[in-house]
Amino acid sequence: MTPAGSLLVAHDLRKAYGPTNALDGAGFSIHPGEVVAVMGPSGSGKSTLLHCLAGIATPDSGSITYGGREMAAMNESQRSALRRSEFGFVFQFGQLVPELTCIENVALPLRLNGVRRKEAEGTALAWMERLEVDLLAGKRPGEVSGGEGQRVAVARSLVTSPRVLFADEPTGALDSLNGERVMELLTDAARSTNAAVVLVTHETRVAAYSDREIHVRDGKSQTMERVI
Amino acid sequence: MSIPASPTAAPPEDPPELCAGEGPGDKASKLRQWPENLAMGLKFAFSGGREGWIRVLLTGVGVGLGVALLLLTAAIPNAMQAREDREYARMDFAIGDAEPAKPGNTVLVAHVDTEFRDREVRGRQLEPEGLRAPLPPGIDKFPAPGEMFVSPALKRLLESKDAGLLRERIPYRITGSIGESGLIGSAELAYYTGGQSLAEFVDDSAISRIDTFQATKGPSQETDPVLLLLVLLVFVVLLMPVGIFIATGVRFGGERRDRRLAALRLVGADSRMTRRIAAGEALGGAFLGLAFGIGFFLIGRQIAGSVELFGISVFPSYLDPAPVLALLITVAVPAAAVAVTLLALRGVVIEPLGVVRTAKPARRRLWWRLLLPLGGLGLLTPMIGQGNGNGTFNEYMVAGGVTLLLVGVTALLPWVVENVVARLNSGPVSWQLAVRRLQLSSGTAARLVNGIAVAVAGAIALQMLFSGVQDDFTEPTAQDVSRARVEVSLPAPVSLADAQRKLAGTPGVRRAVAVSTTVIGMSRKNPESSVGLTVGDCAALRELAKLLSCREGDAFTLHGSWPDGETVKLAEPGRKLFVNPTFEGSGKGTEAAWTVPQDIKKAVPYKDPTGWERNGFLMTTKALPTSVASDISGIIYAGLDPSVPEALEMVRNTVAEIHPLAIPTMHAPNERSQNYDTIRTGLFVGAACVLALIGASLLVSQLEQLRERRKLLSALVAIGTRRRTLGLSVLWQTAIPVALGLALALVVGLTLGGVLQKMTDTAIRVDWTSVLAMTAIGAAAVLAVTALSIPPLLRLMRPDGLRTE
Repeated sequence: MTPAGSLLVAHDLRKAYGPTNALDGAGFSIHPGEVVAVMGPSGSGKSTLLHCLAGIATPDSGSITYGGREMAAMNESQRSALRRSEFGFVFQFGQLVPELTCIENVALPLRLNGVRRKEAEGTALAWMERLEVDLLAGKRPGEVSGGEGQRVAVARSLVTSPRVLFADEPTGALDSLNGERVMELLTDAARSTNAAVVLVTHETRVAAYSDREIHVRDGKSQTMERVI
Repeated sequence: MSIPASPTAAPPEDPPELCAGEGPGDKASKLRQWPENLAMGLKFAFSGGREGWIRVLLTGVGVGLGVALLLLTAAIPNAMQAREDREYARMDFAIGDAEPAKPGNTVLVAHVDTEFRDREVRGRQLEPEGLRAPLPPGIDKFPAPGEMFVSPALKRLLESKDAGLLRERIPYRITGSIGESGLIGSAELAYYTGGQSLAEFVDDSAISRIDTFQATKGPSQETDPVLLLLVLLVFVVLLMPVGIFIATGVRFGGERRDRRLAALRLVGADSRMTRRIAAGEALGGAFLGLAFGIGFFLIGRQIAGSVELFGISVFPSYLDPAPVLALLITVAVPAAAVAVTLLALRGVVIEPLGVVRTAKPARRRLWWRLLLPLGGLGLLTPMIGQGNGNGTFNEYMVAGGVTLLLVGVTALLPWVVENVVARLNSGPVSWQLAVRRLQLSSGTAARLVNGIAVAVAGAIALQMLFSGVQDDFTEPTAQDVSRARVEVSLPAPVSLADAQRKLAGTPGVRRAVAVSTTVIGMSRKNPESSVGLTVGDCAALRELAKLLSCREGDAFTLHGSWPDGETVKLAEPGRKLFVNPTFEGSGKGTEAAWTVPQDIKKAVPYKDPTGWERNGFLMTTKALPTSVASDISGIIYAGLDPSVPEALEMVRNTVAEIHPLAIPTMHAPNERSQNYDTIRTGLFVGAACVLALIGASLLVSQLEQLRERRKLLSALVAIGTRRRTLGLSVLWQTAIPVALGLALALVVGLTLGGVLQKMTDTAIRVDWTSVLAMTAIGAAAVLAVTALSIPPLLRLMRPDGLRTE
């Protein structure tokens, strides 16, 4: 059953990598503006769930609907277009293009959507200011610290004003201070734009920024309502 | 404040020399560290799980391909020698002034070679004379008449569907095969068939009586200095890209290695130790490359036995590299691997917390890069004008000069790429991704393209040199192919009229002009004065001279533009002459007497279809003494209709049917020096191998780069980057340096070509078709590599790349 008003809903997702069942009947739903933390130990299937929800990977079975549209009915280019225009992404590693400057990295999703360079970089700079990394605009990722790089990545994930932001262990490579700052900026920015955030993490400290938690274990999901 | 001395903290009371760290113990320890560090590096080369194995395999394959080509090149002189030895071992005619063999335990050999669709078929009829007649190498008994022993390649050809015309021409039953010892190459088309009554033709040049098949080699001819220059250049031009390729191969996986070395620094390795470890790792790749190279070479050696390139084939056993060269390769490749690695590490500072590269690498300097090509020009300039009979070239200066010029390409290209890409501005995302990557690290891209740039520059220069000296090695034959494409020489007993009729009736033959030729002299034997005599009907004679009138029974004297005292002397009316006199050493003639008629007519000769203006006498058939008619050999000039397919093959079949010893010779407007053609063929064969190798190297490097960026590619796809965008970015990333490399290759190639043309004293002439062709081949190699790297790119862009488990 689809929870009323949900933006992104998944039912009975199954996905195997060889003999390993990464997802084994997992479900998920998220409302606009909601922050949902997907938690679980390493290898439990959290990232696979995120990849399936974002249309990066295709589940072996089960259904995912976004805004009422069945993801399975979309072809690869339609899913790519969806990711470009409606979704944003923050990963733990390997997300910034090392050859591009920070502002070019942030502007990249806009440019992929056909926005002209100047306009794209103008919007990118505004987001960088908001995430307090505007002074790094002309630097390359190799020249900035891990926390700064991650904030640049968050700016990039938000630059298209996505409706859903997928964050896979966004603070996994940062110290606690930097991690908290990144999370504050990320969730504030997402809430201000009414973007839903799917936050994959195994840290309760990070999950504390969410409205709701879903625990994944052995490929199965269980919703845990937050009690404040 | 003083720190109290503690027994545990007190420094040891070492002698002063040990404190300086120069003690024998330290030295020994340092010496011991060398092999330990190298061994550790070797271990790293083969550890690191799947990733590590893939990296070392790529290096092994890359270096192995280069080593295989080097070994192949080192084996070429042996292969050529082996072919020549086999050719001499089966030689069936006497060379020089050797006495002809007397009958008895001899063999009569008739040369019945033919061609089938531009492929030569070596044919011999053998008729043993005596029980101990010598056998040619490769067969253990003589084939009977009507039977033949064939080479495996000819057997395959005859069994193929579209060789019907050849089967008609050599219709003998196959009863045996020619072994390897009787063939010069695996793809050689050859047969031996049994001959009958060959003795009656023994005076014919196509028949020899021999008592051995072995011939001793005569003194080797001195090669033309210009040809020698070409050989040198072909080797330099072809081997340089291979060296560059090997240098590129040992740097595969460099980024990952640098990170590993940083980790070692963190646990206490100093910078010298890391360099030694890196050297050990490079040695690991190089040793594996050597092993692969030997493997590839052995596989290639077997494959070489089943292919034929530009008419040359070899047996695998021919391809034995010269031991000294093989040893040199075995030592030089690992040494080069270490040198290249250490050189590459000079621009990198490996620190405990990571690899430090300045965001903007130090700008490349131009001055020393320019020194190389300028030095090359400096070496070549003194030899300008020395070719074409003006002297020989200093081969060391030529090789050195060309090498420096071409090495100059590899030195200049990184500078050119860096400076041009720095000025390139933003465009579409794919362009931006490519340009930014090149701006950050153009060295890798330039290294990849170096091989192609050098090959193209060298090939352009060589093509220019070839086209410049082509005229010197191409002689017009004066043969008029519009009048006769084929000239058929018939052995004496064959009826000329019958042969002409058969040829004229062959499909595709427009005309067949038949004449007989012999000599007419003043005496029966060894005439002091003799001239040529050509016999034919009036129509045939009109092909050779301007005849005001002609009837059967007429005879003519030829008075050409050049002084011909002999004909004037012999053509005196009433003088008794002898047709077909006997000459010592050339068999017995017919020696028919003929008296110059009182009314002998004069005629002005034309050039015949072979371009030869005759002298002597012309006779109509009836004017010739009947006793001679059947004893002089005939020639038929056949003109062909080019629109009839296979006309030439059908003519060859008719000729074989007329008589197996009838020889068809093709006419062509030009004749080229065989050496020149061999060298040019060598360039094409070599260029084909080198381009294939460079293509493979580019592909391997491209895959290596893509693999290192797997996670990033997956992340880019995750944020919605179109696959087309990434594909295009890969194309731009290769195409930009390749375009620059080709432009530089064009400049250097044209300069080098111009200098070489001046060296050979020929006018500077650019063969733009060849230049464009070479450039296009280089560009095509890149496109092919890009196309081939798209499937792995698509695979690497899958979301699996984002998984960390």
